[in-house]
Amino acid sequence: MRKSFKTILLVAILIISTLGECTMAFATTLPYDTYNYDYWDDIVYTPAAYVPDNSYSGVSLGTTNFTNPQDVYVSDDAVYVADTGNARVVKLNLELTEVLDIIDTFNYEGEEMTFSEPYGVCVSNENKLYVADRSQKRIWVLDEDKNVTLVVQDPQSEIIDDDFDFTPLKVAVDYANRIYVVAAGKTEGILVFDSEGNFTSFFGTISVKISVWERFWRKLSTRAQRSRQILYIATEFTGLDVDPDGFVYTTNYDTAGEQAVMKLNPKGEDVIRKGEKGVIAGDIAFSNSSSAYSGASTIVDVVYRGRGIYSILDSKRGRVFTYDSEGNLLYIFGGLGSQAGTFSQPVAIEQLGDKILVLDAGRRELMVFKSTEYGSLINEAVGLRYDGDETQAVDLWQKVLELDENFELANDGIGKAYLTSGDNEQAMKYLRLAMDKKYYSIAFRRYRNEWLKGNLQYILTGIIVVIIVWIVVRNILKMKKGKSQMKEGMLL
Amino acid sequence: MNKIKAFFKNEKLWYPFHVFSHPMDGFYEIRHRNMGSVPLAFFLVFCYSLCFSMNRIVASFVVNDVDARTVNSLTELIAVVMLYLLFCVGNWSVTCLMGGEGRFKDILIVVGYAMLPMILTYIPAMIISQGIAANEEAFYTIIIGIGTAYALLLGLMGIMTIHNFTLGKTLITIFLTFVAMFIIIFVVVMLTDLVSQVYSFFYSIYLELLYRS
Repeated sequence: MRKSFKTILLVAILIISTLGECTMAFATTLPYDTYNYDYWDDIVYTPAAYVPDNSYSGVSLGTTNFTNPQDVYVSDDAVYVADTGNARVVKLNLELTEVLDIIDTFNYEGEEMTFSEPYGVCVSNENKLYVADRSQKRIWVLDEDKNVTLVVQDPQSEIIDDDFDFTPLKVAVDYANRIYVVAAGKTEGILVFDSEGNFTSFFGTISVKISVWERFWRKLSTRAQRSRQILYIATEFTGLDVDPDGFVYTTNYDTAGEQAVMKLNPKGEDVIRKGEKGVIAGDIAFSNSSSAYSGASTIVDVVYRGRGIYSILDSKRGRVFTYDSEGNLLYIFGGLGSQAGTFSQPVAIEQLGDKILVLDAGRRELMVFKSTEYGSLINEAVGLRYDGDETQAVDLWQKVLELDENFELANDGIGKAYLTSGDNEQAMKYLRLAMDKKYYSIAFRRYRNEWLKGNLQYILTGIIVVIIVWIVVRNILKMKKGKSQMKEGMLL
Repeated sequence: MNKIKAFFKNEKLWYPFHVFSHPMDGFYEIRHRNMGSVPLAFFLVFCYSLCFSMNRIVASFVVNDVDARTVNSLTELIAVVMLYLLFCVGNWSVTCLMGGEGRFKDILIVVGYAMLPMILTYIPAMIISQGIAANEEAFYTIIIGIGTAYALLLGLMGIMTIHNFTLGKTLITIFLTFVAMFIIIFVVVMLTDLVSQVYSFFYSIYLELLYRS
């Protein structure tokens, strides 16, 4: 008796202690908050979509450490890191286990040349390496044998000033080998070069927004005052990526926190969709104090991840925001700090398989994040919807709801599927949870019509009964009144 | 039992409805024949606050953008009553100077009774909102709008009648009432600030003594 009691106690203590460890482990695994914004732009904490997987410094990869690395690019067979401070481009294999090549010298017209500040890097479909060198003011195009096949420098055009100092920062190439370049201080837009390296046009110019009120004050102020006011200059571009269809995703500074990403079609028009909120700039709710941690997100890079999904990187608060093709915010992860898995100065983002790579110039590391079940379910469901396969997405959305029942997009997806299948009542329930007024109203209108059709006989009968009762009661009252009046008359 | 019957037969109890349909006569009788009741006016204000909060919580999400979790009916009740009292005090202080005939009691009654149309329209609007879809919001907004407009009209007529003002003078007094309200708020805020400063002064002396001894 005593012994069994003791064993029970022991087992209980063991279970309790393991439980405690479990919760502790769960609470300490993530060094950052994962959250999303609900219909009212309030923060809702969500499960993590991506968790830190690993991080690679130069030494751990088998070479010397990176110095101020600024860009990373993933091609079909290799990962390229622009190691800006060491004037080299490091080529890694896709498993990030070994260094395939270190590109620091190359042949240019028979001479051996070196980089001085390789700032942006990318690879074309023909496996040519494009390197934007900031201090040499050139874009080098190298083939696999490190021979220069093309040099882009000093663009000549009527629309460019003669004294324009061409300082390329980031570079991207599309399927037709058109070259897109983000140049320092060039606010007119992305510079576009054809496959021969000739400047063709500017791309995606951001128009300056001045409110009526600001214009009014500028009219009133004197020349001296005006010279001391803030200049209304279009913002600078920060990063870019090209999707397989040739759409160019660009990021820019936006201190208002309204739009920090553009999706440019081949004509250079912005065709991005901004979702229900109409805002696509990272954090929606932020304070506006003077501290470095406040204000709108500083979006520095974008990566197109396939099936309409793209992620943007905020260097101010070290967060990665992921959107779908309709501009819905899917999930947020990442944070600044000094723990493993947090950033100090994130500069570039790329996708490697189903993992996300973030290059940190401060930590001098390439950081890898892997998706959790939650993240991959969302990716897959959004992808299915992008492909037009909404009914198949429903199962995945259900699983997402099991992990996070507040996820509005999942409720919306399920509700819309119910709507198509004709189950209006269920559709109303889920669309109500998703706060989707438009589709809720469609479901509700159908439901209301059905209800009216089914209950019309009762409604009409009810109305007739009420009318009859009213008439009868009125007549009885009249008769009573008449009788009492008659009585009174008789008495008189 | 008889008492309860007598209570419900009391003419004063149903008088807000008489005012609702015969505003000019009704307000005149409130002023000159004591047909109004201050507790009843407060009760109507309470009802209005309740309807207001309920509308924000219950009205269908098609017409209602409020997060129901953030609605606190108690703070809203306090805010409504405070605003009501502030308006009445402001109006009283202005009309006193401008030769209005109404007593403070009359102002309280008139403003309270003027809220009846809003109470009467918020509830059906709430019910209707459950049965409408997008693009049909007009039904809801029109009902609410009519209630609010009629309430404003009643308030205007009431203040005009009890003070025996012309329409123009009433409008001017209402404008001045808002000015008076702002002045009252300003004075109250300044007073609390000064009092808190005095308090912190004495509190620091107390602390000093406490630490030195």
